[in-house]
Amino acid sequence: MDSYLLGLIAGSFVSIGAYSVLIGDNPLSKFTEHLYMGILGGFIFATNWNYVRTNAVNPVLQGNFIYIIAILLSVMLFSRLKTEWLWLSRYPVALTVGAGLGLAIRTTVMSDFLGQITATILPLNSLDNILMVIGTVTSAAYFIFTAQTEGPYKYVNKTGRIFLLAAFGVTYGQTVSFRFELVIGRLVDMLRPEVANYTYLMLLLVALGLGYGYRTKKIKWYKGR
Amino acid sequence: MSDRLIKMQIPIILTAIIGLIMIIEFFFPMPTAVTNLNVTLRSFVTIVSAAALILGTIVLTIYHGKKVGTKGSEWYYSIVYIIAFVVTAGLGVTNVRDTTFLWIYNNMTSPIGAALYSLTAFYITSAAYRVLRARNWNAAVLLVCALIVLLMLIPIGAILFPPVVPIGTWIRNIPSGAGFRGMIIGTSLGIIGLGVRVFSGRQKEHMGIREERRQE
Amino acid sequence: MSLMKKLLDLDQRIIYALMFIALAFPILNPVVLPMDIQEYSRVSFEFADSIPAGSVVLIEGGLGAATYPQGGPGLEVQIVHLLGKGVKIVFFSIGTETAAWTVTAIDNALAAMPSGVAAEDGVNWVHLGYVPGGESGVAAFANDIRSVKSEDHYGTPIAQIPLLANINKASDFTAVFWWGGSEGSIPYGIRQIVTPFGVPMTGMCTTNEVPNYTPYINSGQLHGILGGVRGSAEYEYLMDMPGLALGQAMATNFGGLLWAFLVVLGNILYFIARKEEGDN
Repeated sequence: MDSYLLGLIAGSFVSIGAYSVLIGDNPLSKFTEHLYMGILGGFIFATNWNYVRTNAVNPVLQGNFIYIIAILLSVMLFSRLKTEWLWLSRYPVALTVGAGLGLAIRTTVMSDFLGQITATILPLNSLDNILMVIGTVTSAAYFIFTAQTEGPYKYVNKTGRIFLLAAFGVTYGQTVSFRFELVIGRLVDMLRPEVANYTYLMLLLVALGLGYGYRTKKIKWYKGR
Repeated sequence: MSDRLIKMQIPIILTAIIGLIMIIEFFFPMPTAVTNLNVTLRSFVTIVSAAALILGTIVLTIYHGKKVGTKGSEWYYSIVYIIAFVVTAGLGVTNVRDTTFLWIYNNMTSPIGAALYSLTAFYITSAAYRVLRARNWNAAVLLVCALIVLLMLIPIGAILFPPVVPIGTWIRNIPSGAGFRGMIIGTSLGIIGLGVRVFSGRQKEHMGIREERRQE
Repeated sequence: MSLMKKLLDLDQRIIYALMFIALAFPILNPVVLPMDIQEYSRVSFEFADSIPAGSVVLIEGGLGAATYPQGGPGLEVQIVHLLGKGVKIVFFSIGTETAAWTVTAIDNALAAMPSGVAAEDGVNWVHLGYVPGGESGVAAFANDIRSVKSEDHYGTPIAQIPLLANINKASDFTAVFWWGGSEGSIPYGIRQIVTPFGVPMTGMCTTNEVPNYTPYINSGQLHGILGGVRGSAEYEYLMDMPGLALGQAMATNFGGLLWAFLVVLGNILYFIARKEEGDN
């Protein structure tokens, strides 16, 4: 059996473990979740360590000593593990938060604020354009929570809410489709011809195991609604 | 130098200075030294961000380690976590392109992650059946838009109910587009407001104030 | 207990089982139905098709384990499309996981590449790998690639990569293709690459995120978008390379119909129950 097929079978088994949470928390699902967290944690640790080593440690070793500051800031971050030294971590946080906010603000003004307002300046010569202008203005105005919703503003607020609900409804419909696509993506791998029999066998074994556990009360029965 | 100055005020001032340099650089021509400083600062941000992710995994490992040490509730699962973490991290730190390391990631973590992420398909269906009701006009708008758009997206929807395609496309472009545009404008104003609050020192939560006060 | 009450209080595990069957059945018994091409997908495809030979484009590979089945087939086809036109590609990712999955996309695309197409690592394409820092990382990368990357994903120093000899910032690229998956990172590309450098961009996102980016498409900041598995399937169709995405798009039929049926049924039962309570 080659490593590719072995990988598909292993993937199928751990997927069944993950899906078993649908019938309620059980030892298999908890084992799978902890396994996932452990491997993912190790992966994130290793890849980020590789990045720091390549882009900070190696340049210092090659004589580019400015990166000592980056290494020092990274080490200061670990002071969060001890409350008395927590204040040291404020310096790297200051860097990331300051730079992050500065970078976001400087371009959001152009792209998200001015860009979207410019795009809303449309000739009012069609129903679509009229609705777009009204919808944008009223839905943006909906977020002014400091104004009392009375008088003419009450209608602005209500109209904005309708457009926002349309947006949320569209997002909901698209999200439902997205979630189905996620399951289908997994099932396609689990039900491949070369793997399907192993999947069915593992399903049977898991069902028998969990059934035995529930019958003998070794696993608590989950009362679904 | 006073304690408060070093532990609180200087970091807040630094946040403001760094943020403002980034903003001013974008709108005004700056001397080469300032531009080079910004390039260096941005590369430092990526390194510190990577270190922050490493810190996160260490904190999680410490939590599970303490659970095993004190034999907390269901501590045996934490052993699974620790073994998985140590093996994977050990392989990856030795060689991030090691085939065993990548095999473990591709064939264990990825399928579990995909499966866990996809569980919401079942929850969303169950919740929709039990809770998604057209109780009033507002809820009806949301429900109708969701139904039309979903039927538009599935190929059979266009065959069974042909009008859903032009109607759904129009709803997605115009009313929904207008709603999201308003949200984007609101969000951008929120980001600017947040920046002003953080740079002026009025918002300090990111500095870990709450954790410090909790321990005092 | 009346039938209506039993239906309203249906155990959710029965709904889970029905949904499982509805999603698994079309995978085991595929049915291909005609499918319209959405306008956003057509615009995105035509944008890619208009890139002249010899250009260098940037692709953000943001597909992870969960989203690769949806977007991966489309990304693979796009890589074949661009390299087949003589366009050169620089890949990067803002996540560790997504950088690894981009390797999968590149490998699969190279395996499907028609013979005779130039596709040499370092000459026609390069994968720069993971850039941490989220939007800050994108900004740093866009302003000075060498300030955040000293080697590519496979460990080759940037100085030894011919493709990057004259490439160091976003303005050196002709276009950007942001395969953001479910990262929600397309605004990073718009804010840090499109707005400051004026580089045109299109992208892919999961189905649920398409409405979020409609304003950017309407304002011209984004040239169309490929939404989820349907978008990938449409790209496959337009390239005449039917594959996994098309089958998956078809598989959403029964699940979608079941969901719609359950919602309508739930509402009918709710209104009947409400009327009965009102009468009582």
